[in-house]
Amino acid sequence: MRHPTRWIALGVAVVVVVVGVVLATQVGDDPRAETQRSQLVGHAAPSFSVKPLEGGTLTRADLAGRTVIVNFWNTWCAPCRAELPDLKRFWARHRDDPSVAFVGIVRDDGESAVREYVAAEAIDWTIARDPAARAALDFGTRGQPETFAISPEGVIAGAQIGPSSVRDLEVMLDAARGEPR
Amino acid sequence: MSKAPWVLLAVVVAVALVWAAWPEGGRSARERARDLAAELRCPDCEGLSVADSSTSSAHAIRADLLRRFRDGESDDDIRQEYVDRFGESILLNPEGGGLGVLVWGLPVLVLVVGAGGLALALRRWRREPAMRATRADEELVARARAERVDAP
Repeated sequence: MRHPTRWIALGVAVVVVVVGVVLATQVGDDPRAETQRSQLVGHAAPSFSVKPLEGGTLTRADLAGRTVIVNFWNTWCAPCRAELPDLKRFWARHRDDPSVAFVGIVRDDGESAVREYVAAEAIDWTIARDPAARAALDFGTRGQPETFAISPEGVIAGAQIGPSSVRDLEVMLDAARGEPR
Repeated sequence: MSKAPWVLLAVVVAVALVWAAWPEGGRSARERARDLAAELRCPDCEGLSVADSSTSSAHAIRADLLRRFRDGESDDDIRQEYVDRFGESILLNPEGGGLGVLVWGLPVLVLVVGAGGLALALRRWRREPAMRATRADEELVARARAERVDAP
């Protein structure tokens, strides 16, 4: 090409193409969206060890072979209180199913406040404390409530950041059981 | 002349090189944990680093970093572990990529293309022949002026 204008036109075309390609590949890839989904879905669940209110220690190994719903929450958290009726309705459907376990892990509340709240709300699934927020960290939680569904093989099949509805919980449960919906 | 100063110098240089080349610069686990905590975003607060936050998550991460460094894990491995668990957004200064590349790379690309165009234009101007009046041109102009003066 003898004419500089052609080189300049080519340069402009290259810039336009690069911008177009980058924008096209980034459409819908909002960096903030990353904070609204768990990175752990599809990966092995952390081998947590938490302290149930009734005493002792509960680990992931204790729940091996069962489909496990893990719900991180705090008594003072308004969205956690808001989702409680749905958690109750969901658990009422599945509490008699021995293949399903439901564990509520308290992120950083005082034990007495938790006991009082659990008694007042008649919560009948396993509630456990998380010493030093270890489980919350291992699950990559960013706050509460956050809910995870773990398959019987120990893989995180679904996660919900924020309050879960009964439908959300059923979808996650089905995913963890490997049942298409 | 004694060889002692040279030996001493060699020792100092060797120590300095080892210090500089050591992956973690000889820093303690606590210092490395503090530095990495300053790079990580507190997961449950807005715009604060793990080092600056007092939430339970930040406490847990600081303890985890210290434990990992004491266990001998490298900065890169720990950083990657956190990115795998929380995503890139756990880094206060995420790695370049996507739109970030566009924002930083586009001005550079424009500059390079512009400089290239300018270089080509300058080369072209240099190649163009110098416009100097020849003797024949000067005679032609002189004749034309003379004719103009002679004209009624």
